[in-house]
Amino acid sequence: MKKTVQIPLGSQHISLLEPIRFKFECENEKIIGVDADVGFVHRGVELACTRKFEFKQVGYVVARVCGLCAITHSLSYTLAVEKLLGYEANDRIKYLRMLMVELDRIHSHMLCLAHTAENAGFEALFMQIMAQREPVMDIQEAISGNRVQFDYISIGGVNRDLTPDLSALIHKNLAALSEKVDALMMLFDTNWSLSLKYKGIGVLSLENAYTYNALGPLARAAGLASDVRSESSDLPYEAVGYTMVLESSGDIHARNFVRLREIVNSIAMCRNIVDNLPVGEIQEKVKGKPKGEAVVRVEAPRGELFYLVRGSGQNILERVRIKTPTFSGIPAMMEVFKGSQYADAPAILASFDPCMSCTAK
Amino acid sequence: MTKIETTLSSLLADIGTFYDKKIWHFLTVNGIDLGEGKIELQWIFSKYGAKDEIIIYYLISEYETAIPSIIGLIPSAIMGEREIVDMFGLTVSGVEKGLYLDEDSIPHPLRSQS
Repeated sequence: MKKTVQIPLGSQHISLLEPIRFKFECENEKIIGVDADVGFVHRGVELACTRKFEFKQVGYVVARVCGLCAITHSLSYTLAVEKLLGYEANDRIKYLRMLMVELDRIHSHMLCLAHTAENAGFEALFMQIMAQREPVMDIQEAISGNRVQFDYISIGGVNRDLTPDLSALIHKNLAALSEKVDALMMLFDTNWSLSLKYKGIGVLSLENAYTYNALGPLARAAGLASDVRSESSDLPYEAVGYTMVLESSGDIHARNFVRLREIVNSIAMCRNIVDNLPVGEIQEKVKGKPKGEAVVRVEAPRGELFYLVRGSGQNILERVRIKTPTFSGIPAMMEVFKGSQYADAPAILASFDPCMSCTAK
Repeated sequence: MTKIETTLSSLLADIGTFYDKKIWHFLTVNGIDLGEGKIELQWIFSKYGAKDEIIIYYLISEYETAIPSIIGLIPSAIMGEREIVDMFGLTVSGVEKGLYLDEDSIPHPLRSQS
């Protein structure tokens, strides 16, 4: 029997921004076993949602689950409560909600690409992508008042409308970003250093994607055709030009390209939304108290976000169940590590785009 | 959303018969405290490529009753099973405590009496 050595990665590590710990069992440099610990900063958000806050406040509580994808949390919760109240938003509200979700996806994917570049030792590219992400943050700030963790969605609508000035800003910033993304795709595809670090590294096969219920860009990079935007009728994604992005090689390179191509698709959808924004109120009165059980799925930047809400006609809900993409993606991530070289672990981990804030909700 | 009632004794057979990994996506295991020592447990699935098709297998159990693990059928269920072990203080066969909670944490915080 060969001698093995256990090497931890995290909970604090130079390549990690958030507290997660993987314990790798290595045979020389090869990872043959892995264990994950994700519970360092559990905050009890689900408990707070059913004890401390009334249902009208909970949308603002769940927005604090994650700074980066706060909008998908408040959207999922709001859609679930609206279902229980028998309310369906008008098209203008739906379009504005989609706009913010897709802007969120663009800057979240760019953050992941930046970190992936950083983990390949490409510090300059990291800085470049982070700078190119700024105009999207500017749009979010102009629309909602905050760069991240904004409270834009509320039960019965959204909190701010698009003005002609905002529409012009969105078009201007997205046009500039679009050119940069084209250049990034060329770089990620042809740069020798990046190819060496990404192609054939950290592979998730299609079979394992099914077995371990992979989701989001991790699944689509392996060829698994799953995206909540095409599997939920809560938001009219087909009407604004959504197309599913699939790759097949399942490696870091494929995950990068799923994200890059999704940025291109999200930019196109945002432009369509601004150009074809339906007429209507942005806030409608919704009466009643939630009674019954509703489930909602929304495609967050990292994959499927799931909410189950149960109420009994009172102000305090009986259950708010939050299932985040990173949390349920961990078994697939652990599978990818097995057989990989330990030296590749930080780059592989960055390519998963893990969100521990969501996981330790 | 379709809810299908199951029992502790038939859970593995029901899910084993139903689940095809290339047709159904397993979302999570969920618990809802019903009070008076009872808990509703849910195993939630969505269908790949289908609009709004969600199936929930559920049963009513008690705090002290051991729950069979489905990770032999669906390996990724381990995360949800570890979560309900910690948050509701349940026993799931072969599943250890400590995903979220430390030894000195408040026990089973999502029980209604906690």
